[in-house]
Amino acid sequence: MKKVRKIFKRRNINLVTYFILALIVAGITFIPFYWAISLSIRNPIEAFTVTGLAIPFVQYKPTLENWTEELATGETQKSLLNSAIIAIGTSILVITLGTPAAYAIARFQFRKPSNSNINVWFLSQRVLPPVATIIPIFLMMRFFKLLDTRLALIIVNTTFNLPFVVVLMRQAFLDLPIELEEAALVDGAGFFTIFWKISLRLAAPSMVAAVLIVFAFTWNEFLFALTIGSIHVRTIPVLMSGAVDTRGVQFWFVAVRTLIAVSPPVIIALLAQRFIVRGLSFGGVKG
Amino acid sequence: MLRDNKFKLIFIWPAALWVLVFTIFPLFYGLRLSLYNVKIGFPDLFIGLKNYISFFTDHYAFNSLKVTLIFVIVGVAIEMTLGMLTALLFNRPLPITGFLRTIMIMPLFATPIAIGFLFFTIFYEEGGLINGLLNIKVPWLSSPNWALFSVILVDVWQWTPFCFLIFLAALQGVPDDYYEAAKLETKSGWNVFRYIIFPILQPTIILVLLLRVTEAFKIFDIPFTLTTGGPGTATQVLSMYAYRVGMRFFNFGYSSAISFLLFIIVIMFVMVMFKRVRQIYQ
Repeated sequence: MKKVRKIFKRRNINLVTYFILALIVAGITFIPFYWAISLSIRNPIEAFTVTGLAIPFVQYKPTLENWTEELATGETQKSLLNSAIIAIGTSILVITLGTPAAYAIARFQFRKPSNSNINVWFLSQRVLPPVATIIPIFLMMRFFKLLDTRLALIIVNTTFNLPFVVVLMRQAFLDLPIELEEAALVDGAGFFTIFWKISLRLAAPSMVAAVLIVFAFTWNEFLFALTIGSIHVRTIPVLMSGAVDTRGVQFWFVAVRTLIAVSPPVIIALLAQRFIVRGLSFGGVKG
Repeated sequence: MLRDNKFKLIFIWPAALWVLVFTIFPLFYGLRLSLYNVKIGFPDLFIGLKNYISFFTDHYAFNSLKVTLIFVIVGVAIEMTLGMLTALLFNRPLPITGFLRTIMIMPLFATPIAIGFLFFTIFYEEGGLINGLLNIKVPWLSSPNWALFSVILVDVWQWTPFCFLIFLAALQGVPDDYYEAAKLETKSGWNVFRYIIFPILQPTIILVLLLRVTEAFKIFDIPFTLTTGGPGTATQVLSMYAYRVGMRFFNFGYSSAISFLLFIIVIMFVMVMFKRVRQIYQ
């Protein structure tokens, strides 16, 4: 009995240690966000003078002035609109093109090339470094007179997100029980009825997750946004990168802009939590 | 009808065609550019492999290659190690792990450009978060070696959670019986890891390694904003160098050659691991 209690006690101490370690890990992960919030509600004068953890109310009096000033800027509003339109446009296009292709690979039989070859081909698109296509795409967009348009950025982002959605949705369809579709077939339902009323309904959660992830990726995309859309269709990341050149290092605005840029994709990540692991591992791991 | 359907081509072609048109064309066009001396206003001049040859005599290019390799190897090694340790830590009944795990998801989708700027304020030497908090004076961004380390640190901050999440998902898929059985055999936690967990997780580890390495080679946004490649060229990774040569100095041919070499490096790495990965995806 004494021995059992001893083991139990040691186990508890271990658990406390582990718990503290887990808290530290999560703390380090969160601190940059906290710092951005703290910096964004600080009076510019106090940006450099308040040191350490910079706890609001204790070390300084928080103000929302940086926020109101930044959000009232026409440039910022325009960039928010650009980013939103490009990300929504891309998401819709990607899911519309990607879902049928994914369904086809999951359900139909292809011979040459085989289903798994098609899948690997889509998968392999991830290997391509965007920078290797940037000049050709720049010249291509210039040829079609699409430079500095939202359409150009929607096209480019669709190209880089489509393979990922095909692979992700293929896995989603494979995980659905095919029996439901077969039963409907026996009952005399047509192919499109089955696809529309059964397959898509059942895969809807995965589709929502895919749309959210594509939205976040497109929102964050910088390289192409900078190259082919840096004047009239500036997205939020491009706006941020330009502001430092002209405004110097103004920590308080950097913090506000960071939070404006980061909030939509981070909130999405939290919403789509359940699908993130599978989504980011390109469908390779169930999570 | 579900297996062989007359609509199957209509289903697959729009997506396949889209990807073909917008990746194959740029690829071949880029390959062509890399064999030419391209100057705006002049006709393109075929120069064969000269652009590739100049890469190996260009010490900026060589420096970028070195920086990129250090970044990828050190960064991914730290991320995977920390990710695995954290996953093992969270793979036990602790209070509020769900909440803590949610926090760990936040960096994954945080806009890299914004994160670069944010860490600029965090690493700032006077009044920045780290030096202020720990009361130290580390030249995070102004010393070449520290600067590369800082870029790696930001990447580690952003991507360790990714390794963590995937490893945790895989760990939770290991049936409890395995651990119970292992505990009867050995008291050493290391042995349990080495002989039980590691072999089971091996496909996952390879997958994460592959995904992280291919992503890490493409790094652009974070050095672009955190250090702008500096001080000097201490953090000028290959993507950034190719971008500068192309979009700043408008030497399209040489820029294409640099990015193609980057592409070839990534492909070689993938080829090595491809067989294993294919098994995973089937």
